Amino acid sequence: MLKIENLHAEIDGKEILKGLSLEVNAGEVHAIMGPNGAGKSTLGYVLGGRPGYEVTSGSVTFDGVDLLELEAHERAAAGVFLGFQYPVEIPGVSNVQFLREALNAQRATRDEKALSGGEFLKLARGQADLLGMDYDMLKRPVNVGFSGGEKKRNEMVQMGIVNPKFAILDETDSGLDIDALRVVGDGINRIMRAPDKAVLLITHYQRLLDYVEPDFVHVLADGRIVRSGGKELAQQLESEGYVGIAA
Amino acid sequence: MAAVMELPSTREESWRWGDPAAIAAAAGLPRGEAPAGAWFLELEGARAVFVDGVLDEGRSDLRHVAIAPLEGGTHVLGARTTGHGWSLRVEAHASAELIQIVHIATGGENHVPAEIVLADGAQASVVETYVGTGWSNRSTRMTLGAGAKLARAVRLLQTAGFVSVRDEADVGAEASLIVTMLGAGDAGTRIDGAITVSGDDAFAEYGGALLARRDQRQECALSVRHAALNGQSKQIWRAVAADTSTASLAARVEVARDAQKTDGVQSLRGLLLKRTATVNLKPELEIFADDVKCAHGATVGELDQRALFYMQSRGIPHAKAQALLTRAFVGDAFAQIADETVRDAFVADADAWLEAAL
Ligand SMILES: Nc1ncnc2c1ncn2[C@@H]1O[C@H](COP(=O)(O)OP(=O)(O)OP(=O)(O)O)[C@@H](O)[C@H]1O
Ligand SMILES: [Mg+2]
Repeated sequence: MLKIENLHAEIDGKEILKGLSLEVNAGEVHAIMGPNGAGKSTLGYVLGGRPGYEVTSGSVTFDGVDLLELEAHERAAAGVFLGFQYPVEIPGVSNVQFLREALNAQRATRDEKALSGGEFLKLARGQADLLGMDYDMLKRPVNVGFSGGEKKRNEMVQMGIVNPKFAILDETDSGLDIDALRVVGDGINRIMRAPDKAVLLITHYQRLLDYVEPDFVHVLADGRIVRSGGKELAQQLESEGYVGIAA
Repeated sequence: MAAVMELPSTREESWRWGDPAAIAAAAGLPRGEAPAGAWFLELEGARAVFVDGVLDEGRSDLRHVAIAPLEGGTHVLGARTTGHGWSLRVEAHASAELIQIVHIATGGENHVPAEIVLADGAQASVVETYVGTGWSNRSTRMTLGAGAKLARAVRLLQTAGFVSVRDEADVGAEASLIVTMLGAGDAGTRIDGAITVSGDDAFAEYGGALLARRDQRQECALSVRHAALNGQSKQIWRAVAADTSTASLAARVEVARDAQKTDGVQSLRGLLLKRTATVNLKPELEIFADDVKCAHGATVGELDQRALFYMQSRGIPHAKAQALLTRAFVGDAFAQIADETVRDAFVADADAWLEAAL
């Protein structure tokens, strides 16, 4: 589904990704762990098409299409979802309005019919319910005044509504309390565990991986994947740290 | 016609960002066809259409609005309006029906004075829409008796030329004046406002949005003077500038020595859609009373790049994301419009502008 080959990317002239290769097939969950500043969020931004990140060499194909050629919104319409490490506050734009615009824009890009107000609200209400988010929060401006955990939960509600094929979830577990972690873990499984979908789960902790069991675990250090293994690698990292492994 | 037009000079402080040359150019545009369109909102009430400053009786239904000779006052542009204009006078404790006025300009210059006089406890609501091209020059004098309420909403939608609006208001005790302006056309714009809160416990709100694009220049010079006890005023202005345009706001709150317990809110915010555009903000407070609350803020910024990417990453194309953020930015300036149909019209005008400008 996703094939990254020898990816080099820089921001403001500073090279952050230094020859990263990774292949993710449909039906798989891959966890990416690694020290602070290793380039994990950068990988997410490059895949999402954030302006300012320049790919200097390498390639990324998504379902055979050159992902790097697509504009950010086209990547979303193609089925790529980026769950933000730091979800952004948007004063003056309600969650409902934002998500309806987003979903219908994706549908328009795919030549699908727009959802009516009623259809959309039913969908949004259902997803908010499943993730234990109070429906009133959907009427509030996007992420404004949300607690850290509420923002992350909101990311998952958004993912449920747009129902992507491939999700990059950047530290979705950080800031969540113990119960919320389980709700979010269940949400990821429910929305994304399917034979035709895949997930790239960026995390620092084993906890989330207890709920969302990865098929593969990779260590990203200094802009490259330096080690790959099964889910036992995460346990090993938890007990031993990156020292030694990432070297 | 080579009549020399006396126009304000940009050497005058209040005209420092002004564009008198654009007024002269607009006045020189040849008269032509009136633009077609449905400019009235779907609301019951009195209607007046002025074409190049002359009442079009066939398309008007004046009801309680009168046409009368009026003085344009002493303001440099307002003074030129002296002549026949429209007058709304509402008796004590009466409520006038909504009044809609459409000003259609086809070229050249046209000048119309107006007065709105509300006796004690009277209420009125006025919506004005400017379309077409040429120089449209207006003066409007508003007098609110004790406890009177006036809501006035003005849509400046001329596609070319210049619109200059001079407003003077006197707000009596416990009265409420709410004026909302929207500049969303392609004409040059000059709004001059002089509001006096002259009765105790009165409320005056004068705000709006100027949306400028291409090489357009729009500006507002406003002063609200508190001369009585316990007055409240609000000046909520949003200026958006695209391309190489300039939007300028000079807003002043003056609190006289006796105007204790005044509560003045002034919020001037500018948004640059391009680095080549300009927003000028000049907030001024002049306070002679000691027991006064005046909150004010003036900021100019650009759209939040992180928010733009966040929206794009959810599938919203760049221009649409810009439009949603800009609309949210402008929205604060329309919140005071009580009538939903009028407020929706302002939002729709702003949306149409965004569609064209982005
Ligand atoms: N504009 C920039 N200019 C220079 N360096 C930058 C810029 N933005 C980010 N970086 C650097 O890029 C590196 C990778 O950052 P990134 O956010 O991808 O790390 P990360 O692996 O997600 O870390 P964390 O685990 O703390 O979230 C960091 O060293 C960061 O300081
Ligand atoms: Mg990170």
